[in-house]
Amino acid sequence: MTPALADRLSRAVVGCYPPRWKQRYAAELLDVLDQHRAGPRTVLSLAGGALSTHLDPDYRMQIRLKPHLSRDAKLYIAIFAAIIVGVPALVILPMIPRAIRESRWEPSSSGSVGAIAFSRDQRIMVSATGGPPWEATSTLWDLTGQARPRRLSVFEGGSPATISPDGATVATNAFGGRAQVALWNVTRPRHPARLAVLSAGLSGALWGEAFSPDGRILATASTSGLVLWNVADPARPRLLRRLAAAPLPLDNSGPPVPFGVTQGDLVFSPDGRMLASVSGRDQVTVWDVARPARAARLATLAGPHDYFAALTFSPRGNLLAGVTYHGSVLVFRVAGPGRPARVSIRPGLLASARFPGGGSTQAGPCGGDCSFAAAYAAGFTPDGRALTVVVDRPEAWPSTAARDTVFTWQVTGSGDLSDVTTMFRDVNDAQPVLAPGGRILADGSLTGGEVHLWTLP
Amino acid sequence: MHGKFDGLGRFADPSLLILTSLSDGPKHGYAIMTDIAAFSGVGMEPGTLYGALSRLERRGWIRPLAAGERRRPYEITAAGQEVLAEQLRSMQQVVRVARQRTATA
Repeated sequence: MTPALADRLSRAVVGCYPPRWKQRYAAELLDVLDQHRAGPRTVLSLAGGALSTHLDPDYRMQIRLKPHLSRDAKLYIAIFAAIIVGVPALVILPMIPRAIRESRWEPSSSGSVGAIAFSRDQRIMVSATGGPPWEATSTLWDLTGQARPRRLSVFEGGSPATISPDGATVATNAFGGRAQVALWNVTRPRHPARLAVLSAGLSGALWGEAFSPDGRILATASTSGLVLWNVADPARPRLLRRLAAAPLPLDNSGPPVPFGVTQGDLVFSPDGRMLASVSGRDQVTVWDVARPARAARLATLAGPHDYFAALTFSPRGNLLAGVTYHGSVLVFRVAGPGRPARVSIRPGLLASARFPGGGSTQAGPCGGDCSFAAAYAAGFTPDGRALTVVVDRPEAWPSTAARDTVFTWQVTGSGDLSDVTTMFRDVNDAQPVLAPGGRILADGSLTGGEVHLWTLP
Repeated sequence: MHGKFDGLGRFADPSLLILTSLSDGPKHGYAIMTDIAAFSGVGMEPGTLYGALSRLERRGWIRPLAAGERRRPYEITAAGQEVLAEQLRSMQQVVRVARQRTATA
């Protein structure tokens, strides 16, 4: 740009200032330009000055749009706008299936989803994706707009992962440590900050985490046993108690658990006084944790010679339901008169469903190795009158195609199951998790790192 | 004309440079620009200068004097002198700390 051109442009730009400003300063500014050797920077500075002056309330051009429209005209415009927006909405909304609605979330990273957990108010969800559990990444999701969930942040933390009841802390498998638990402050969910790493008392592979209902206790489970931590101040966690449960019969060098074992197999009762954990090949251990530092075994409940995949307490805390890998549903009475005991069993869940269209049912080829058995989630409705069990089952190994079923039983006060209803989905997932309240179901994809969200009727 | 630290912001703040320039007596626009270039090495452009002049005048830190032809000189007010003194104290504090730390580093 030649000086002459810059000078001409500069003077033209001076004409672009607001009239009031020009009235006051233009003569002086032109005098300065007479003496100044203009260049591109001169033009840019004047253009920037003109723009900012137009935005300055003291010099802003005042544009008044006088309302020439009559009241009737405004009314007609409002009715017209309502028709334009409202009629399509009335037509489209009923077309959305009400039985089960699904949304899919973009993957935060590729690979299988190893863990999904919800906050108690269902406003936040965490998912751990990819790699071995101790080298995965966790993604924090904002569910306040369920149809359009937003990814809040991605951080280093693998499965299992769980969220404290107040939604302020997330516990994950610590990155790089197979039996270490990392606590994250997510009060600024876009910027999770690691508060502490728990490692004392843990060895082997980590397979479970659960916060107590008041959020003050964190139970962690590894192949070496259970540990209770005081996390009232999550930045300064304290080891409270080691509990020696019968170890899961798992190979420590491989994946820590078969598909489907999530934090759900380590659950606190609603009043926080009991903790139920999977133990051994076919057992559930119930712990009295009313005084966590003196926690002790309350009962050992036997299943039908099968791993327990998912556990859930009833809202009153008097019943404990469990689902096994081969598809048996059991209900135990764990509170009230008498010793804890089994009150219901529904075996053969995998064989009980008949798919629409006459498709045959085929249970996963579990055999002696349950690595590819079906995966489960279980949850009571808030009133405790229904038990929902979600099955993600592989149709035929090694295919990962799944034929998935949602069973819902009516539950009596004493724990008897009746009137089962079934719903079918057809997805390729293997990590179902029911949100608190039992109406939102999340599935973790086997590949691609996707999380799928379903609203149950 | 343009120092390598132009981007530092506060130390090359146009308002501070203008108040400093006017602290030894009234000057008109072009005289302010040449004075600033002489004592600071900052080549202030007319758009920047008059943007800052209008803000300083509105805040009462400078005031215009009677214009001669197209040139209007400006002088610093008592309030402007106070602001400048406060700014200089702050900068001196920064300089003092920086010197101490670089000396011990």
